Amino acid sequence: MRKILAVIRREFVERVRQRWFWVMVVLGPLFFGALFVVPSLLAGKSGVKHIAVVDGTTTRFGANLTERLDRDTLFVAVRVPAAPATIDSLFAAAQRKGVDSSAPHPIDSLMAAVDRNEIDGFLIVGDETPDSGKAMYRASNISSFVTIATLDRILSELVTVTRLEREGVNPAVVAKARIGVDLKSDKIAGGKITGESAAQSFSLAYFMGIILYMSILIYGINVMSSVLEEKTTKIVEVLISSLRPFQLLMGKVLGVGAVSIFQFLIWGVSTRLLISQRRHIMGKQGLGDAGQLFQMPHVTPATAAVFLAYFLGGFLLYSAMFAAVGAMSSNEQEARQAQQPVMMLLIASFISMFAMLNDPGSTLSVTLSMIPFSAPIAMPVRWAAGTLPLSEVALSLAILAVSILGVTWIASRIYRVGILMTGKRPSLKELVRWVRTA
Amino acid sequence: MADPVIVDRVTKRFAGHTAVDALSLTVPSGTIYGLLGPNGAGKSTTIRMILNIYVPDSGSVRLFGEQGSGRDHSARIGYLPEERGLYAKMRVLDVLLFLAELKGVDRRAARSKALTWLERLGLSDWRMRKVNELSKGMQQKVQFISTILHEPDLLVMDEAFSGLDPVNSQVLKDTVLELRAQGKTILFSTHIMEQAEKICDHVCIIARGKKLVDGTMSDIKRTHGGRNLLVNFDGARGNADAIFADHRLVAKADASGQFAELELAPHADAQEVLRALVTSGARLSRFELAEPSLNKIFIDLVGPDAATPVTRPEVANA
Repeated sequence: MRKILAVIRREFVERVRQRWFWVMVVLGPLFFGALFVVPSLLAGKSGVKHIAVVDGTTTRFGANLTERLDRDTLFVAVRVPAAPATIDSLFAAAQRKGVDSSAPHPIDSLMAAVDRNEIDGFLIVGDETPDSGKAMYRASNISSFVTIATLDRILSELVTVTRLEREGVNPAVVAKARIGVDLKSDKIAGGKITGESAAQSFSLAYFMGIILYMSILIYGINVMSSVLEEKTTKIVEVLISSLRPFQLLMGKVLGVGAVSIFQFLIWGVSTRLLISQRRHIMGKQGLGDAGQLFQMPHVTPATAAVFLAYFLGGFLLYSAMFAAVGAMSSNEQEARQAQQPVMMLLIASFISMFAMLNDPGSTLSVTLSMIPFSAPIAMPVRWAAGTLPLSEVALSLAILAVSILGVTWIASRIYRVGILMTGKRPSLKELVRWVRTA
Repeated sequence: MADPVIVDRVTKRFAGHTAVDALSLTVPSGTIYGLLGPNGAGKSTTIRMILNIYVPDSGSVRLFGEQGSGRDHSARIGYLPEERGLYAKMRVLDVLLFLAELKGVDRRAARSKALTWLERLGLSDWRMRKVNELSKGMQQKVQFISTILHEPDLLVMDEAFSGLDPVNSQVLKDTVLELRAQGKTILFSTHIMEQAEKICDHVCIIARGKKLVDGTMSDIKRTHGGRNLLVNFDGARGNADAIFADHRLVAKADASGQFAELELAPHADAQEVLRALVTSGARLSRFELAEPSLNKIFIDLVGPDAATPVTRPEVANA
């Protein structure tokens, strides 16, 4: 036992001392922060849009629109008054492409401003806008669909209001009619409303999946390179003369596992901090709405326990396989090739997570959460996304535990023979012989 | 005191090839024991079986006259493998402490011992440096310290002197002799006979996994010696070549120019050879009945074909 402790201690201390560990510690939260922001950015948000409203209306419509846009966090709007005739000619020009384009036009100066990046775009409205719903938006970046959608929404609302008021509907009634629907979703667990919204469940499941995948991968590979280092430096022979190969393997896995738990502690605390500061950070970037999808989830003790149980299970399962890969290889290149099958298993489990997020209760999801190789990612994701009967979790954990024993038994036999072998990588047939004879 | 190592008819096969074949040997306490053989003779495999790194297919190894495998006794054994290596990115002192811990030494005790040894071998300035910042010679010293830091009763060194520079070689030899003076037992393998001849009390010569001879150095020399003639000519060689070819007198001759090393034929008398040479008109400046060098005994025993190693057993198996 004391020898195993010495191995655990060495693995832990040497790893924590390395620079890459602290780089990961710092980059980890940054990475998770990016996971918050990037999907929002991909959804089309890229900050506040400065736009000009070219107002050719003779009513208050243009001024109202400008004011409404400016109030939205997405826009900074400035009204540019224009003669109705100018607007008419613009609409006409748009219909009969390029007829007037050679003649100088007041709109040219705005185009130039877009070119110079002084404004992001301009919106043209005229008197016919409330009637026909016709308006034009010209911008350097039309593809930003959130911008277009928001513009569309605000414009439509105002057109509706203007039309209703024109028909003599009481403005108070219009205001009442405009109150939107705010669909609130709650997750039910054990017959009780948990107070956790769908968005929170989704974000929790998403994060747990990613963290599980990444840490099982990173720390599994850590075990592999540790095995490989001892093998290539030949120090393993000295070690094996002092303790059993299985003791060495166990100390190694536990030591690397302890590093991962340590890193989780640091990451956990910083991610928690980041989430609690989410509104603040996103508000600064004008991403108020994007935060909706990723709300701070309630991590209950049960969820934490499930996460930890499956992380440890997954880590033990995969690190045993990675250790066997390290033991059967003679150098980094060989190991990189030999690790492919193990990586594939893990990557497949990760990708299947997305199918599961759509429907955590489907047959596919249930199957994946029972297969030991995908369960470490699949089950926590299902747990977070929906509510599961405890019996299902227990069954899945039991299968996982039995598989860990089986896989470790095989892996440790490969390890035992492999660490003292030199020469070419064994074929599958030879591996089977190692397992049989070890 | 019980013999530290008793190997009893151990056999180890790798993928149909027998690396060690029913080998028995006994290492007496307080001696320097040389396990000699050409490359591929099974020296490393034998040593690994003694240390329980390999499990013999048959036969047994008994250590210190007690039950238990090499691993169970590892606190009393220091092992320097043929292929050297340390954790490249660890600090020198940390490597020593870790390896001592695996031998069951308390960290604090290990630290003071490690510092003493580092000081003694001139490495104390390097104790906080990473192993890969050290020169190869320094790394060898560090590895040697790690082998003896826990003050083992039995020191096992595979190809002890291979890859050592002359300075380190001397350090190792001095330390080994010092350890023997303290009553420790040293078992080492080598294929370099000159080294073995200088420091071994006992030797065991093996080839192709089988023992050819073992015993104390003096016994072996006596058994295989006394039948050796060293002859130096002083100009005229007379009819020397014909006499050397006479199998009633000379069993084997290694003659070159003015010098010849002869092995007497069984029952032949050295005086007859002398008489025959002088009668044939040879002038001699030296005629000596000598002990053979270990090298000669080795080559005689092993023979030219056994010295050609088969493929490395580990590689053949992998």
